[in-house]
Amino acid sequence: MMNVEKIRKDFPIFEKKKFIYFDNACMPLRPKVVIDKINEYYTEYPACAGRSYHDFGTRLTDEVANARDLVKKFIGAKKAKEIIFTKNATESINLVANSFKFNSVLTSDREHNSNLLPWQKFDHDVVKSKKDFSFDLESFSDKVKNFDIVSMVHTSNLEGYSLPVKEIIKIAHEQGAKVLLDGAQSVPHKEINVRKLDVDFLAFSGHKMLGPNGVGVLYGKEELLDGMKPFILGGETVSDSTYDSYKLEELPHKFEAGLQNYPGILGLGSAAKYLMKIGRNNIEKHENMLKSKIDIEGVEKIGHVGESGIFNFNIPGKGAHEVAMMLSASKNIMIRSGAHCMHSWFNSRNLEGSARASFYLYNTLEEIDTFVEELEKIKKL
Amino acid sequence: MLCLIAWVVFGILGLFSVKYRVLAKESFDCVFRRITFKKCNSNLDERIKSKLTGNLMKFSPKMARGVYRHYEFLSWIFVALFVVSLVLGAQGAYNLAMYDNCAGPNADPDQCIFTPDYDVVDCDDPLCDDGHCEECGDDCDCEECS
Ligand SMILES: Cc1ncc(COP(=O)(O)O)c(C=O)c1O
Repeated sequence: MMNVEKIRKDFPIFEKKKFIYFDNACMPLRPKVVIDKINEYYTEYPACAGRSYHDFGTRLTDEVANARDLVKKFIGAKKAKEIIFTKNATESINLVANSFKFNSVLTSDREHNSNLLPWQKFDHDVVKSKKDFSFDLESFSDKVKNFDIVSMVHTSNLEGYSLPVKEIIKIAHEQGAKVLLDGAQSVPHKEINVRKLDVDFLAFSGHKMLGPNGVGVLYGKEELLDGMKPFILGGETVSDSTYDSYKLEELPHKFEAGLQNYPGILGLGSAAKYLMKIGRNNIEKHENMLKSKIDIEGVEKIGHVGESGIFNFNIPGKGAHEVAMMLSASKNIMIRSGAHCMHSWFNSRNLEGSARASFYLYNTLEEIDTFVEELEKIKKL
Repeated sequence: MLCLIAWVVFGILGLFSVKYRVLAKESFDCVFRRITFKKCNSNLDERIKSKLTGNLMKFSPKMARGVYRHYEFLSWIFVALFVVSLVLGAQGAYNLAMYDNCAGPNADPDQCIFTPDYDVVDCDDPLCDDGHCEECGDDCDCEECS
């Protein structure tokens, strides 16, 4: 069991303000260890990594290597060089879309724009959900043989539904397709082991897992990354160059063009360490428990109904933005409203949008009670 | 319809801050759409309504419900009050400029606090000496000093 009160003490913002934060699927709060690590970079060794042989440079090089190693452990990768630092999950997905050789791609019908738009210029199809909004494995099995790569969201940012990725990966591999998982919403909330899953690529963002903004990760199997060419070139990506040619660096550097977001990378390493200490199984259980306590009638639930850490809903007769703004004005409850960057999903169902409350390790049952009380009031308006 | 009031208020505040300039633009767009019988593109109206309702929910859910349900009607009342006070204000400014009395040409000047007070100089004031008024300069008709 998690000690939520103790966990809340790790987040300095709780000492400063009174609020209820349920917009974790967009961006969670940051613990002190992450903030301190970022400060440490700027105050103790604000230099470049991997090229300068002075005190600051070598210290930073070691710190970056350590962060990469922590992220490797965090997702159960085999080698640190399979971890490529990017700007965010979006850039990680775009990296694969632009660097991996393929002709056709299959996605689900519940993709975030970040895992849909990069594929639209290719031969692309979607697997439609079943009536209960769960993933249609049968339909997927029928389709996948015609595609080179499958790129699917692991846990949806809509309502937290997790696709049966183990089966998806197994079936895809049997049919010769590679699999990229968009782990933006799964990696921060559930235990993931890329080797056990046998997934080919995994993309996620640092800022959704308590890390700093502007840093993300692409995991890729070494043999696949080795065969790919970078789509951004520049400093760090090459070991040598002439006026008309260049020699690419080894992994992971060939994909990390230009000087990197070092404080971001270090903060990400600290976030990974922090989450490993608490245990994502515990976090997942806690979030599921919180959602299960939301007992309110007359509210329309959006998407698949089941265990998860995201509650997506509409109140009949009230706009989603209205609900979000009223919650904010009345009890400083922060939720998200709109199409959640899943316009395709909402458009295909003629829905304008919805309200979304997403939970994380520091949310409490009292907060859920207040949320439900306020929803009851809004419902009666 | 509160966006009309918002437009004027934010328009003035917008002279001093970019934040309000953006809001003024939004409210203008909203006013323009409303007078052409279209739905507001920006959700400014919705934002005002939700903020108001949400804040009222803290004190009185009943009152919040009243405001939420009759928001359009209440906004029209506020807009009407706003227009009436704008017209009266403009009339007062005109009267002040033309007759030095915002209450109108035939009204008692004491009714208007902006009426200029020309009696500032007390001709018995010892400072008014030898036809020269130290304090009041040109405003003083020192000829009349005793
Ligand atoms: C499921 C999913 N995929 C991808 C993204 C994009 O993440 P980022 O904006 O950090 O690149 C998000 C962000 O909300 C997401 O929820």
